[in-house]
Amino acid sequence: MSDRIAHLADRVRADPFFLASALDVYARSEGIGDAALAERLGCEVETLARLALCRRPAAERFLADVEAIAERFGIDATELAAVVRRADVLEVLSRGMGASGTLMAARDREES
Amino acid sequence: MGDWPPQAEAMAIWHRLVDGDPVAPSDLAVAYLDPLAGWLTASSPAIDPALCQTAAEDAILALITRPEAYHPERAALDTYLRVAARGDLKNAIDAETRRRSRTAAIDAVELSPAVRNRLHDDDADPARIVELAETVRERVGQAALPAGVSEGLSAGDREVLALMRVRERRTELYARAMGILHLPIDEQRRQVKRAKDRLNKRLERARE
Repeated sequence: MSDRIAHLADRVRADPFFLASALDVYARSEGIGDAALAERLGCEVETLARLALCRRPAAERFLADVEAIAERFGIDATELAAVVRRADVLEVLSRGMGASGTLMAARDREES
Repeated sequence: MGDWPPQAEAMAIWHRLVDGDPVAPSDLAVAYLDPLAGWLTASSPAIDPALCQTAAEDAILALITRPEAYHPERAALDTYLRVAARGDLKNAIDAETRRRSRTAAIDAVELSPAVRNRLHDDDADPARIVELAETVRERVGQAALPAGVSEGLSAGDREVLALMRVRERRTELYARAMGILHLPIDEQRRQVKRAKDRLNKRLERARE
């Protein structure tokens, strides 16, 4: 894999359009690097950049997208689904965190 | 530099992009990033290769997120990407030129004591330096520029004029402002000289 592809994969890490964003959130939450992430997914480290440049699975066709990606790169679809789902949950939680870092309490009445 | 994929392969990837195939963005990047960045770097030898790489990435990312912007009946995909990357590179050069000309203004303009003291006091704050540089440049420009000189000038000409007014001498900065860095250096010098002569005449006429 070329350095240019690795550079591009790194660049889109914060872009929710790309699978790179989910892989990044997951790896940071687990405190793991590329080697451990590749092992978890059942692929070579060199495959991660190409994997990262895939479109992140769309909610309305999540399983089909996960299976298409997994099949193409010969990785474990169940692990990939778990990684993306974990990232989804962490991102929802982080959006609900207040400035103090605590989860904001649900409002018990509608705001006027 | 990698080889350009055949148009049939390009069309297959593009159709998959349009259809939302999650693997298509990766396939497009793998197929086109190396040849595109390599071509842009080779055809713009005077430009920082990192800028070329970024421009090639920008063109590919734009196609990934908006595949419908490409119309296969108008051009081959590699042609489309080359034009897009060239445009992105020009934008990046323009931005870099603006940044450099701001820096040149700081270096070249003789500051008033009051401004010099303020700049010295705050020189650890980059945002403040840029703000001061803009202020100084604007004031110097307003003080000495005859009325109407900058009216109707292109953005490139305005950059050239700004560089002339801070007595910038480096051809490279003028060439960047004019978007001609891809030309041979002798041709850059000729075109820069012509532009400066033209703007000097404009200034002279305005002062008459």
